This record gives sequence, C-alpha cells and structure tokens, in this order.
Amino acid sequence: MSYYSPDALLTDAQRLPCTFENAVQGLGFLDPSSTSSTIPAGTTLQLPLWLAEMLAVSQRMGTPNNVLSLDNPPALSSRVLNALKADPKTVELRQLATHFYALGERVLGLWDEPELEEVLIQTYKARTAEIADLAHNPQGAIGGEAGVFLRGLDEDERQLFRVAHESAKMMKQFMTERSTKN
Amino acid sequence: GPLRPTEVSFLAESTPITIIPRQRLDTLPLISLTTPRLTPPQRATVPLWLALILKKQKRCNIVPPSWLSSHTISGILQWEHDNPSSFSGALPWHWLELSELLLEAASDDIPDANVGGEMDLRVLLRALREVRQSKARDGLKQLEGTYLLMNGLGMMEITELRGFAGMVVDGLRKLGAT
Repeated sequence: MSYYSPDALLTDAQRLPCTFENAVQGLGFLDPSSTSSTIPAGTTLQLPLWLAEMLAVSQRMGTPNNVLSLDNPPALSSRVLNALKADPKTVELRQLATHFYALGERVLGLWDEPELEEVLIQTYKARTAEIADLAHNPQGAIGGEAGVFLRGLDEDERQLFRVAHESAKMMKQFMTERSTKN
Repeated sequence: GPLRPTEVSFLAESTPITIIPRQRLDTLPLISLTTPRLTPPQRATVPLWLALILKKQKRCNIVPPSWLSSHTISGILQWEHDNPSSFSGALPWHWLELSELLLEAASDDIPDANVGGEMDLRVLLRALREVRQSKARDGLKQLEGTYLLMNGLGMMEITELRGFAGMVVDGLRKLGAT
C-alpha cells in the first residue's frame, strides 16, 4: 500500500490483540487502564497494526524472547470465518472492520493462514458479484436486504460500488442523451 | 481515471466514412490528415467528425457502413444467442458509438432505421447491446486474480467494464489469488 494513502493509514490504525511476553518498562501508557509505567508480563492489549508489528519483530536484548506475541483480531475470528463460509453476503463486514480486506491482507502477511486466505478470496468474489448486480440494477437499493448489504460493505467494496455505479450511470446518460437532445 | 463514454465517442469520430457530397469543397490541409476535394456527386471518404458536420449543414448524405444494416445486425444477434460464452468478432471496434452517432445524425440515410417492427435497426441494435452486456456481466462474475478473457468486445463495452474489473482483479491479487 502506498505510504500516503488514507486507506493505508486507516488500515494501519486497526488493532490486533497483543500479549506481552516480558515486562516492559516505560510503555505503561499504552494500557489506558494502568497507572504504572511498566507493563507486566502477560498483559494483553489491543494495539494498532503499525505498533504491534514493530514490537512483535523486535527482541529483548540478550534474550531469545520476542517482546510480544500477536493474535488474530476479532474481525477475523473463526466464528466470523464460519459465517463467511456459510453465506458471505449476509455478513456486515463494515461492522467488523472498516478496512476488512486490508486487515486480512496484513494478517496474511504476518502468518501463514491458508484457510483465512481462501475464505477471504471466496468472500470477495461472492460479494463483488453482488455489488456488480446492485450497481447496475439499483431497484430499491436503499431499503430492504440490498440496503443492509450495501451499508455493510467495507471500504474497498464501497469504492468498487461507486466505480461500477458511476460507469453504469455515464453509459445510461450517453445512450439516452441522443434521443433527448433533439 | 477510465475514459468516459463521451470521450470514447469522440475517439470514434476519427473513423473514416463514405459520404455523397452535395456541395463542392476544396481539400483542407489539417494536422492529422488532408481531406479530399469534394466534387458532387462523387463519393468521398472523410473522417466521421467531418461527415457529421457536413450532414448537419445539409452539405452531404452519409453512406452507412455495410455492417449497419438489419440484415447484418440480425445475423450477429443470432450468433450471439447461439454462442453464449463468446462475443462476435464481426462488429467493428467502435460499433456502439458509431451506430449511436450515425442513427442520430443521418437516420434518413440509413434505410433500415425507420422500418419499425422486429427488423427495425434500432430495435436490433438494442437487443444486441443487451445480450452482449448480459454476457459481459456473467464474465465479470468469473473474475480471478490473473486474467479474464473476453475477446470481441467493442471499445465502449470494454471502457464500461474497465474500472470495476480492474479493481476486482487487483483486490484478488492482493489477497493472494494469483
């Protein structure tokens, strides 16, 4: 993702659950519920991706331990994956994470998770097919099932819908402006 | 971003077309071409944009291209129905734009344009557009992270799909679907 892209920055701000393997001095401020300046070993916090990745990669000097270990975010839990396997179009991705697929990509970059990768791909294919249909035939797309689906689109999907809808609109305009011009 | 339909239509206007001039006109040395001298009633080949201007000023009649006829279009329409997973290569690159522009400007020069009924050229073109569009949409549902092969689409049809298809393929690529 590009350095300055707003979507990349917002993705980076999404959080992962992190468990501190060792006590770390001076980072106490990361835990809003703590008054100490030291994070005790075993603490689990939700940290933004950019910080979590940096800390996970660093090692405490003189020890083979990593500073912290990362876990799957709730948005990509096995409960969510099962729901997506059952019917990808009924899950409201936006509620789980505004930049759902981007979050998935980052997690896939951290661990090997073939099941997650497969579910994301199939989900994306099924939902983008639905987005294409809705963009061309937006009958009553504001209310009803279609409305719920559209409101549940993550950011990438929303941009897809916009592009598809714009192009459909411009085509319609082009095809009809002939008959109305005269 | 992708080209708009009006821009695609503009590009189509460089297509050469045959006209029957009604008035003399000397050759015009332009940047991209030198237009032929127009000597009625001799036919001449000029770019479409010039033909449209002259037609509007009633200084010529336009000879419709051979594919712009009910006979040809109904044949292609039948082929499209008989071949549900391909697109006819018999249509010119700018078929959609050219038919729109010519029917608008010169329907009196196109015999099949005002026939009415099911062999009416406009009706056939609309049907052709719809069957191809429906096939293209089905094609989009099969997008993978590598490539989607849809030969035979016209420039306008491709432009219509480009934005969406490009984004979906890119999204799949990022998810590792290549």
